[in-house]
Amino acid sequence: MSRFWVALIAAVLAGTALRAADDLPSVLISRQLAETERLRIGDVVRLSPTADGTGVQQFRIGGIYEPTPDPARLGAVIREVQLHLPDLLNLTRESGTPAGSEYVQRINVALVNPEDASRFSRDVQARMPGVQAQPAAGAAESTGPFIVLRRFHLAIAIVTILASTVFLLALTIMLVDERRTAVGVLRLIGFPSHRIIFQLFLEGVLIASVGSLFGLLLSLVSEGLINRFFQWRYDTALVFVHVTPQVAATCVAIAVPLGVSATVVASWALLRRNGLRLARR
Amino acid sequence: MNAMGFAWRSLVRQPARASLGVLGVAAVGALLFDMLLLSNGLVISMRGLLERTGFDLRVTATDALPGSGPLIPKAVGVTQAISKLPSVRSAVALRFANATIQNGTPRGLFAAFQGVSATATHPWTILQGRDIATGAEVVINENTAERLRIKPGASITLRAACTGDEQALPPATFTAVGIAQFPFDTPNGITVAASLEQVAEACGGNEVDEADVIMAASQETAGPDAAVADVSRLFPDLKALSNAEAVSRFERGGFTYFRQISTVLTTVTLGFAVLLITVLLTVSINQRLGEIAALRALGFSRWRVVADVFCESVLIVGGGGLLSLPLGAALAVGLDHILKRIPGIPADVHFFVYQPSALQMHLLLLAATAVVAALYPIRVVATLPIAATLRDEVVG
Repeated sequence: MSRFWVALIAAVLAGTALRAADDLPSVLISRQLAETERLRIGDVVRLSPTADGTGVQQFRIGGIYEPTPDPARLGAVIREVQLHLPDLLNLTRESGTPAGSEYVQRINVALVNPEDASRFSRDVQARMPGVQAQPAAGAAESTGPFIVLRRFHLAIAIVTILASTVFLLALTIMLVDERRTAVGVLRLIGFPSHRIIFQLFLEGVLIASVGSLFGLLLSLVSEGLINRFFQWRYDTALVFVHVTPQVAATCVAIAVPLGVSATVVASWALLRRNGLRLARR
Repeated sequence: MNAMGFAWRSLVRQPARASLGVLGVAAVGALLFDMLLLSNGLVISMRGLLERTGFDLRVTATDALPGSGPLIPKAVGVTQAISKLPSVRSAVALRFANATIQNGTPRGLFAAFQGVSATATHPWTILQGRDIATGAEVVINENTAERLRIKPGASITLRAACTGDEQALPPATFTAVGIAQFPFDTPNGITVAASLEQVAEACGGNEVDEADVIMAASQETAGPDAAVADVSRLFPDLKALSNAEAVSRFERGGFTYFRQISTVLTTVTLGFAVLLITVLLTVSINQRLGEIAALRALGFSRWRVVADVFCESVLIVGGGGLLSLPLGAALAVGLDHILKRIPGIPADVHFFVYQPSALQMHLLLLAATAVVAALYPIRVVATLPIAATLRDEVVG
C-alpha cells in the first residue's frame, strides 16, 4: 500500500494541474501536498498507481484536508490523496481482476453507542474468525511508543519531584529558622507545642495550596506555548501537552501533602528545643 | 582568610541547609546533564551504528527509507556496476521482507527476512558457524537461535511475506549455517538472512533481481562524497546518500522530538535551579544581615562581602554539580532503558550518549547558574546600609 502511495504522490508531483471538468471524480488532498504543489480546489490532477505513470486517470480536487495527527509520522511532510473507494479500486485494479473481488485492509465502524465498542469487537471476532476488530481507543493505547513515552515522562517527573522536595525542605528549614525567636516567645507565654505546630501546619496547607494553584496556572499557560511551538515546528495539529483534570488533580495531590510535610518536618526539629533557647538572641 | 574559605565556613556552620542545597542542585544538575546527553545522543548513536556497518553509501530507488519505497530493478547488475566505480571499494544489494518461521511453533515466529547479493562482504558479523554460500542457506541472529533452540546446521522452514498485500506463499526450507550479529537488530528482533536469489525464490519468484537498498563502501582515497557523485552520475534515477547525509535526514526526521523535548526540559530545569538557589542564598543572606553589617563595620570591603556571597553560590552549585555527574550517569542508564523499549529501535542505538561537548555545556550552564543565582543576593549585600542595619539589629 505504501508503494502505491509513493507512486501516486510521484504522479501527482509530475502531473499537470488543469482546470476543472465537472464530471471527473473528486479527490481530497492533504494541506501539505496542496501547499508544496500549489494545488487548489477545482484543479485537475492525474494520478497513476505506478511509478512509471501508466494507467493514468484524471481527478478533480474536491477539497483540501488537514491530515489526522499521527505521532508515528512526526516530522514527515504528509503528501496524501484521499479517493472514494470505488475510484481507488478502479485505479489500482489489475487487468484480468474482476470488479468486486478486491479486498480492503481496514473498515472503520462508527457505533451508535461508542461505549459498546468492546462488546462489538468481541462479537465481530466471534462471528468472523480471522478478522481482527479492535476499539479505536484501545488501538491507540496499545501503541508501543505512547506507553514508552509515558514511562519516560513519568521518570522525569519523579526526578523533578525529588529535586523539588530537597529544595523545599531546605527552604522550609530556613524559613522556620527565621521565625525561631517568634516561636520561642510563643512557647514562653504559654502556647503548647501542638498549638504552634498546628498553626505551622495550617500555614503549610495555605502556602502549598496557593503554590499548587500557581503551578497549575503556569502549566496551563505553558501548555499553550509548548503546543504552539511543536505544532509550528512539525507542521502538525498533534497536541503534545494536555493538562487534563486528572493530571491537575494528581499534581495537587502530590504537591500539597509534600509542601505540608516539609513544613511540619522542618518545624518539628525546632519545637523540640527549649523555649528559652529559642527566644535568646 | 580568603573569600572561599570564609564561604566554606558559612556553609559548614549550617550543615543541614547546606547539604540540602547541594543535594537539590545535584538532582537538578543530573536532570540537566541527562537532557544534554539526550539532545544529540540518538543522532550520534545512529551515526556510530552506520559507520560500524562498514558501508558509507546507501543507494535507493526513491527518497523513501529502505524497505518502505519501491524496489531497485536489475539490482545485481546495478550493484556490480557500482562496485566497479573507481571511488567504490565494494557494494552489496539488500532486499527486506518478512517471514513466519514454522519450526514447531504453533502460531509461527514473525521474523525479518533479509536477502543479500553475492559479495565478499556481508552486513553482519558471524558469531558461530559460517557465512552463507550457494544453496538454501541462511544465517540467523542470536534471538532466533534462542527462541527456536537451534544451532548451526539445523533446518528452518519459513513462509515469506514480501509485499504489503496479503499473500499465501508456500513454505521454504533452509539450513541455518551460522549465527550472526546484525547491526540494525532490535533487542527482541528475529532476523534471518539469505542470498538475494533465495529470498526472491521464497517470495514466489515474482520480484527476482530487485533490491530495497544497495550499500557501498567508498575507497579511502576518494571518500563518500566522491562516491555519491559517481553513483548519481552513473544512475541518475537512483538516490545515493552518504552516511553524513543519512544522519542529517535522520536529524530532521521524527526523532528530533527528543532534541526539542531536551531543549524545553533544559530550559525549565535551569530556570528552576536559578530560582531556587537565588531563594536559598537570599533567605540565608537575610538571616545574616546583621553579621554582614558588623563585618563591614570591622573593615571588610564591599567587594569582599560580595565575593563571600558569590563563593557560597559557587560552592553550593559546584558541590551539587560534581555530585550530579555520577547521579546523571546512573539516571541516564535508567532512562535509556525505558526509551529503548520503543518498537523498532536497534539494540545498539542509545538515546543518552556521552560526549565531551555535553560535559562542557553542562559545566558552562552550571557556572552561569552560579553567577545568575548570586546576582540578587549580591545586590542585597552590596547595597546594605551598615549603620541602619546594625541599629535595627540592636533595637530589634
